[in-house]
Amino acid sequence: MEVSHSVKERTIAENSLVILLQGLHGHITTVDLRDESTATGRVTNVDAFMNVRLAEVTFTDRQGTVSCLDELFVTGRNIRYVHIPDEVDIRATIERQLQAIHRVRYFGGRDKGRKEFPRAKHK
Amino acid sequence: GGAMSLLKRFPPPAEGVRHQQPDTEAVLAGRTLGAGTLYIAESRLSWLENSGVGFSLDYPTISLHAVSRDLNAYPWEHLYVMVNAKFEEEETKEAPMAEGEEEEDSDDDVEPIAEFRFVPSDKSALEAMFSAMCECQALHPDPDDEDSDNDYEGEEYDVEAHELEQGGIPTFYTYEEGLSHLTAEGQATLERLEGMLAQSVSSQYNMAGVRTEDSIREFEDGMEVDIAPVVAGQFEDAEVDH
Repeated sequence: MEVSHSVKERTIAENSLVILLQGLHGHITTVDLRDESTATGRVTNVDAFMNVRLAEVTFTDRQGTVSCLDELFVTGRNIRYVHIPDEVDIRATIERQLQAIHRVRYFGGRDKGRKEFPRAKHK
Repeated sequence: GGAMSLLKRFPPPAEGVRHQQPDTEAVLAGRTLGAGTLYIAESRLSWLENSGVGFSLDYPTISLHAVSRDLNAYPWEHLYVMVNAKFEEEETKEAPMAEGEEEEDSDDDVEPIAEFRFVPSDKSALEAMFSAMCECQALHPDPDDEDSDNDYEGEEYDVEAHELEQGGIPTFYTYEEGLSHLTAEGQATLERLEGMLAQSVSSQYNMAGVRTEDSIREFEDGMEVDIAPVVAGQFEDAEVDH
């Protein structure tokens, strides 16, 4: 449930389904890669660019060879699918992540909070 | 000859080096390239053999990296790096190179993959090497990402504006905004009440938003809400519905 320190990343997350993946912290998840290898492990971080960091990973390469990796970082570009675990309530997860972002917006300190909401909207 | 066209002579990176690991063996597709120093820099990943030749990898070409301690899979603990590129090798002939852009080929069987392993003599450094690479990778988001609209200047969801539309009750005043809504008498009352609260609140209770004597010194503006330990339901008794 950690929220990024970056204004840009929070905005990107808020406007895409990456926010769902960010709610998967701590869950065991399987990631299918573009080259057809798969990685199953515990999600430790997902950033706004969908780069995924997993711990305690079982990695099956595209030839089918299985190995264990302590930690794995896979770039968003190379992810084909992320399997959402059955126990995850998707809607509740998204709502919780949005609330976390909004809480940071309001209470990041007077000046920090204000910068994300310029009174005069400039389009 | 045995010298791979991959290896070139170049000076070690001078700027933005997040981590450097000496005495690190580099292995490509199972063949060792020798011992040298791995430089994890913000611009690129470089490895230089002790003789001064080496190679660099650009982060956008790196599809994943990992810490491997599984000695059944590979006999030494190492940093594994998978790259979306071909490296010319004398011995291991991959699928024959077709004319044109093979990397654009949608057939995954021919997608070029190169597997590097960086084996430090100091195994305890693997965590730091891994983290440094994560940080550097995050600096190189995919420029080809069609889905993301990177222009977010005008698109931030303005929660305040949204809620003002819904009846003019903002969820949150800054201290100054709140003050400006009070008459002089109201402000005096506020000060008096806050003073009373501050006295009654012992140091054990750091009530959000209440200025104790300590906090008055630190936060001249008041209303600095300490959110570091966010408690679920902490603001449930706030007046406004979310």
